[in-house]
Parts: sequence; C-alpha cells; structure tokens
Amino acid sequence: MGQQKERHRILMVSDFFYPNFGGVENHIYYLSQCLLKLGHKVVVMTHAYGNRSGVRYMTGGLKVYYIPWTPFLMQNTLPTFYGTLPIIRTILIREKISLVHGHQAFSTLCHEALMHARTMGYKVVFTDHSLYGFSDVGSIHMNKVLQFTLADVTQAICVSHTSKENTVLRSGLPPEKVFVIPNAVDTAMFKPAVERPSRDEIVIVVISRLVYRKGADLLVEVIPEVCRLYPYVKICDKVRFIIGGDGPKRVRLEEMREKHSLQDRVEMLGAVPHAQVRSVLVSGHIFLNSSLTEAFCIAILEAASCGLLTVSTRVGGVPEVLPDDMVVLAEPDPSDMVHAIKKAISILPMIDPQVMHNRMKGLYDWHDVAKRTEIVYDRALKCTNQSLLGRLSRYLSCGAWAGKLFCLVMIIDFLLWRLLQIWQPAEHIEEVPDFTLSHDED
Amino acid sequence: MDTNIGERTSEAQPKWRKVAYGGMQPGFDDNHTDDSFLEDMVMNANVVKRNMLKVMQDSVSISQYLCIVVLVGLVWTYTLRSTLDEKSLLFLDISLLGLGFMVILLTGEMLSLKLLSHYLLNISFFTTGLYILAPIYHILTRSISSDSIWAVTVLLLLLHLFLHDYSGSTIKPPGALQNPTLISCISLNASVVASVFIASRLPSRLHVFAIMLFSLQVFLFAPLVTYCIKKYSIWLHLLLSFFLMSVTLGLVYSLHRLLFVMLLGLLVFVNVVCPYWLIRIQEYKFEINGPWDEAKLCFDITD
Repeated sequence: MGQQKERHRILMVSDFFYPNFGGVENHIYYLSQCLLKLGHKVVVMTHAYGNRSGVRYMTGGLKVYYIPWTPFLMQNTLPTFYGTLPIIRTILIREKISLVHGHQAFSTLCHEALMHARTMGYKVVFTDHSLYGFSDVGSIHMNKVLQFTLADVTQAICVSHTSKENTVLRSGLPPEKVFVIPNAVDTAMFKPAVERPSRDEIVIVVISRLVYRKGADLLVEVIPEVCRLYPYVKICDKVRFIIGGDGPKRVRLEEMREKHSLQDRVEMLGAVPHAQVRSVLVSGHIFLNSSLTEAFCIAILEAASCGLLTVSTRVGGVPEVLPDDMVVLAEPDPSDMVHAIKKAISILPMIDPQVMHNRMKGLYDWHDVAKRTEIVYDRALKCTNQSLLGRLSRYLSCGAWAGKLFCLVMIIDFLLWRLLQIWQPAEHIEEVPDFTLSHDED
Repeated sequence: MDTNIGERTSEAQPKWRKVAYGGMQPGFDDNHTDDSFLEDMVMNANVVKRNMLKVMQDSVSISQYLCIVVLVGLVWTYTLRSTLDEKSLLFLDISLLGLGFMVILLTGEMLSLKLLSHYLLNISFFTTGLYILAPIYHILTRSISSDSIWAVTVLLLLLHLFLHDYSGSTIKPPGALQNPTLISCISLNASVVASVFIASRLPSRLHVFAIMLFSLQVFLFAPLVTYCIKKYSIWLHLLLSFFLMSVTLGLVYSLHRLLFVMLLGLLVFVNVVCPYWLIRIQEYKFEINGPWDEAKLCFDITD
C-alpha cells in the first residue's frame, strides 16, 4: 500500500550512527530499514568514524554518507555553523532529497544540517531522544540551541509523552506540532530461551553503562540489602545478580561486592557487546533498571521481549513504556527499590516468558513506528513554504539578544547558500540514479 | 477533523491514555494533546520567600568585611606616609592577636588548654618564618615601579573582595566538615600577594615584618573571628559591624573627602539597594520541575 502513496526521499542526519552503538543509532537504523520496505528512499548522513569515511551501503540498500569531519567530543563534530553547508547541499541535490530528518538534541551535525536544509527551503523533521532539566548551565545552553533549531522546524517527534512535554517547554513549539512516536524493539532478535531458566535460584540482571545517570549508586545500596533479605541458605529463594556493563562506577560496585563478601552472588561481566545482550538477558528472571533519568529506555523493551519481569525506577518516560502488569515501578530510593524487587520476586511464578514475548510483539513493532513516522512526513510536506522574512520573524521572537543573533546566523547562511549557488550551480552536481532492490529475496 | 474525533470518542471509543505502548491509539493522532499535558509540571517549588529585613541583616556581613579591608588599606597608607611607625604597628599586631584569641576563646565551644597551646605553637612558627623571610619581602619587588605596585594591589584587593567567601571563613576552625573551595583560596591568595607587594615599598625590615604580620593576621583570621562572633550572637555581630563602619567612615573622611563619599555610597548600595533589588527581581523567578528532571539520590555518595 506504500507504493500507491507519494514516495519520499528522506535524509536522516545525526552524529550518532553505527559503528557507534546506542538508542539513537538503533532507532535510525531500524526506522530507515522499515521506511525502505515501505518504498521510500532513505539516505543516512553522519560523520566519519575512524577510517570509515565516504559512502557505505548497508542492508536493504541503505546508503550511508560518512562525511569527513572528525568528532571532537563525545562523538560530536566541532560546531562550525557553516562548514558543513557545501557538503550537505551537494548531498541534498545529488540524492534529490525531499525531506530532512535530524536526530538527537546534542548532535551538532544534526543542528547544522537542519539549519542549512531550512535555508535551502527543505521541509525538516526533528526527533528528540533525550530529556533535559532547566537548572544547570549546560542544560540552559542546550535549550537555547534547541530553541534555535526548533524555531523553524516543520514537525517534531518525541519518543515519549514526558519527552514531548519536556521538548515543548524547552523549545516553545506548539504541542500540536510535536508527535509522540516511541522506539520499538526487534522482537525477532530478543526471544526468550527455548527452555525456561530454572526456578532454583532467581537471577536478577542489570545491563547498563555504570555511570551516575544510570543509577549505579542506587545499585550499590540495593544489591547488599536484597542479598541480606534472601540469604543463600534456604532452598527456595536464592537470589543472584548478573551485572553487565562498564563505566566509572564499576569500581564502587566491586568495592560493594568485596565489602559485603558477595563474590559468589554478584557476577560482573564488564562491557557486553550488543550482539550478546540477549544471551545475558535470557539467563535471568528479573531485569533491574536503576536509571535516574530516561526518555524512553529501550533496555526495558529488550528485557521484556526476552520474557523478563522488569523492576525499574519511576523516572522520565519509563512509566509509559510497559503496561502495569509487565513492570514493577519504584521511586529512585533504595528502600523502595528493595520493596519493588521483593514484590517482583513474589509475582514471578505468574510470569510466562513466552506469553510476555508474544505480548511484546503486539505492543511494539518498528514497522508500526515507520508507518507513524510516514504520517508525520506527509504532514510536513503539506505545510506551506515560507519566505526568508517570514522565518526570520520567528527567530526574532526567540529572545531579546538570542533572537537577533539567530537572525544574523540565518541571514549569513542564506547569503552563503546564494554564493554557493553561483559558484557551483545545482545543474553541475550529478544526480544519483535510483536503483530498486528487489524485495523478493526476503 | 477535530470535531469528528470528538464525536467518535463520545460514542464507544476507548479513552486516550498517556502511554507509549500498543502502537497508535485508535481515533487519536500521534500529536494528540489533552488536559493531562504538563499536569505533572511543578513551578517554583523550591523558591524561598525572602524578607527585606533579613536580607539587609545578611548583607551587613559583606559591608563589615568591606570595612575591614578598607581599614587594612588605611593602615598601609598611614605606614607608607610614615604616620605610623614600626613600634605602634607591632603594638597593633599584638593587641589584634590577643583580641582575636579572646574572641575565639570566649565565643567558641572549643575552650581547651591543649588547643590553646597548639594555636600558640603554630603562631610562633608563623611569626618566626615571617621574620626570617622579611628581608626577602623587603627587596622582592624593588625593581617594579610604585605605580604598578599600587595598581596591581588595588586590582588584587578587588579580586579578593569579589571572590571572598562572605558566608563562612576560608580558615576553618579545627574539625570543620567542609574544605575551603578553590574560589575562596584564590581570594585569600590574592590578598596575601597584595600585602607582599605593599610591604616591599616600606623603608625597613622591621616595617616589612610588622605590616606583613598585620595584613596576614587580618586576611587570614578576621573572617574566622567575625564568623565566630556572628555564630555566638547576631546582635554582637551587628554592633561590631556598625562600630567598624563608623570608625572606617570617620578615618576615611579625615583622609580624603571623595573616597569617603564613594565608601558611603558603596555601603548604602550593599546594605539597602542590593537587598531591595534582590526582593524586586524575585517575582521574575521562574523555576520548572517535572518528571523529566534527573532524580536526586536521597543518600550520600562517598567515593
């Protein structure tokens, strides 16, 4: 049915893409794959990773431009404002792009690309994947940058309702322009184990980066308490922990294990490659997420898809992610978390991993995400075109000083674009011939 | 389209729920926004209502320290003009030291002979060191012109005042929990460097020793002494502050008319205008909290 509709030509832009790994990278990859299956053309643009620079093709004919800009901090490119204009313009014209879709608020490449695309008159969609507070200096700066980008964005997408509220507050966008389209999980990749893990001992799995924001300090308080409540002497309720992940707080966890002599009950695996996450998950019964802030939390979906009961902190968008009977929520406070784990252990006999997995299949699907994103694209393309002056007035309303600064940035961008048009006319840029991959193979 | 949705919901449509699972909710678009939007937002939850009188009272600490620094400046000036000789300077040092000790002993709860001897030992080490180093201070910045010295000294004192920790003291009483911050250490060092600069303009080694001892005593221990007084009794603190202010104003008046007006203006600005300003801008305070905030841990992390 996708074939009858208008075929979009989408450019996904973000600093974050494979070979780097995380929620955003996953989201872009799966969304692109499903959009390709719907008959759209998708091109991804990101910065060079190591010696991976140039054009690569991925599964399903997904074309990826690794533009030769090296990251300087946390996989972000150096913000140059106008440095990326020529290459972005060339890609947009070469690939006959009709719509630009940027991902993640702290990706500089995404902000620059959206700015240039708007200057060149393209419709742009932005997806926000994270939450920000309003109190510290870093957040205030980020919120101003976001306000600049979103002042002129055609439509925005957030991954949860909490994230939508946050984005609307930060950017001043009207709520009707912000869509909520959650992440999904590839349920085929995260299947429960064929034979159910034995009930002799209850294994609680933690897989996360061991940093402050992921609540590693909560784990340090919770694990000894749980181990004390379920001593290893009784026949039935044996509890064991498996912790996957690495980070600066790993030392604290190891100290805790040493101090309470829990070496035989807390297993620390170190960093777990994504390909092995499933095999770790299926060895457990309960998944413990202790994040202090989370826009969506794909890890919970992966665990639930493997048939694990989830215990999680009630932060950010987490309460929206799963129905109440599939997750036990707790306040980010050690005693409440211990209480939640106790509750989870008591309802564990009622949980059938296979049933859980089948339910997850119905709840989350990347194809559904792609279809909903397609609607946003349709809406964005229906929006009326705006002249430069009309857009400048919107930037001007961003703040007394910031508004004028934003206007200046946009005017210079516009002039540079005009200069580029004279210097390198669009007719001289070769367009890429389309090829269609036959879908019969799969 | 909206009315269409409204009709359908009134019939048999399930209600819209604020959840992310289960795909697109039938009958509702993904950009659906209802009354529950932003209902968990809390505004100005942690804002403290301030009282004008209380703020003015707190600002007295700032003007008090301001006066102390001005008094140090006055002593420097009089010494450089040879109005104060080294004997009276040394007498001033000793009387200040004794007075400071008295105050700390009387106001603090740490009245013990052991601590007193500990303090005395430290101070004797300190003075001996200073006495030995005095010749070096004397010629340290000989080659620099007096104008530069004065300019740098004034700048350093301004830096010192700007970064000074007015709420506590950099030199902590023994057993204090917190370590001084980097900012307050920079402030303290700026004042010490300023006194070294001034000392090098003096005629004799004894002068240098006396003035260094005086400056260091004041810059290092005056915050501690005033802190102890403030903790002991707020009325004593206010009394001392007003006494210091009037003494400073009187001395500055006899020195220079314009400086007097400037100092008076500064004191009024700190004590009256700034508190009023702070109260006025309170109404622009706009603090947003909500479920997107990072959760605060309710226990201490000891790394």
